[in-house]
Amino acid sequence: MKLKHCLLLTMAVACSVAQAQSPAGAGFNPGDYTGVWRMVGGTIFDRSTADPANAAAGQPGARERPPYNAEWEKKYLARIELVKQDKLPDPISNCGTPIGFPRIFNAPDGYEFVVTPKQTWILTENGPNTLRIYTDGRKHLPDDFIWPTYTGDSVGHWQGDTLTFTTIGLRGEDGTIVDRTGIILSEAAHATTQIRKPDAGTIEVKLSIEDPTALTRPWVVTKRFTRIPGGDEIRIMDYACAENNRNPVAADGKTLTLDSKGQVIDAGR
Amino acid sequence: MKTTNLKSLAAGILVCSALLMLGTGPAQAHHSGAMFDRSKAVDLDGVVKAFQWTNPHSWLQVEVADGKGGTKEWSIECGSPNTLARTGWRKGTFKSGDKIKVRIGPMIDGTAAGIFVGAQLSSGETLGEMK
Repeated sequence: MKLKHCLLLTMAVACSVAQAQSPAGAGFNPGDYTGVWRMVGGTIFDRSTADPANAAAGQPGARERPPYNAEWEKKYLARIELVKQDKLPDPISNCGTPIGFPRIFNAPDGYEFVVTPKQTWILTENGPNTLRIYTDGRKHLPDDFIWPTYTGDSVGHWQGDTLTFTTIGLRGEDGTIVDRTGIILSEAAHATTQIRKPDAGTIEVKLSIEDPTALTRPWVVTKRFTRIPGGDEIRIMDYACAENNRNPVAADGKTLTLDSKGQVIDAGR
Repeated sequence: MKTTNLKSLAAGILVCSALLMLGTGPAQAHHSGAMFDRSKAVDLDGVVKAFQWTNPHSWLQVEVADGKGGTKEWSIECGSPNTLARTGWRKGTFKSGDKIKVRIGPMIDGTAAGIFVGAQLSSGETLGEMK
């Protein structure tokens, strides 16, 4: 067999293997996800409804407009008041819990998107955290097996350049914290998410979140990521939240500040 | 210690405070930033005691004259080394004994601490917002 024919045969076999691994059967053509990425727009989860428009998460009085029902809008307003008092409970501040879903698409610092036919891993430097999306044809965990977690259970499929997956099994009010304006979701929350690359330098993540307990309609949020420029020194490093955490959170929810010897220096503490 | 309320600084403070929260620049948030006053800029002239190149935040410790013949140690919070390094900072950017002017967003409660906004080194080199 001539070399040319050998190469064609090898490519055909490789291609058919890749397609067989993608349950969509419509090809697996994700594009180039290599490199280190960062989120665009800051850690306001839904920038399109931010009030004020340039609000920062954690800024007293800042809010978004998730389509909450009256009961959960009231909960949100109560949490906005806690932000004003610097007492919003946020478990990740104490370096002990995963950032969870959907907040994993709302983290500062670097990101890696590790795309293979059977699984996609989204790795955040901050935390660090991992979202595993299974695309090998498996179904969600059955009701008698799954339990509520911060990150939930995600399965999906590729269709050409688009990954579509669903996420269930979220922890709810005490763990599904979306951002530091105070947005939370209930244990009934679930989502359908699409990831694609509209151009070489952008990853677009479109989430449609449904929560029959807290929301009156699907909450659609688009997050974008851009590749961090630079040479081969650009890579994910240790984050190590507990290495020198000089801002522990007190039992009453207030974020403290420690001096270089570890002593609390906040006035009145 | 010099306190300013200049409009021209407000944008810089807002940006830097926002960076802490937004995670779009050198200062990254692993915690609430509600303890910082975003309406003020405080300039400190002092001597670097230590530079902690650590996660989740780097910290700059600066000895500043207290006006009583002694000094007071200020704790200045910066971003994570990972992100700072991507914007040109290095672990040796500040060295013990360096004389610097550093601009911070101060703690609301008056504690000797704040969030890094900018700095001018004795060489004249500046970092962040020092206009």
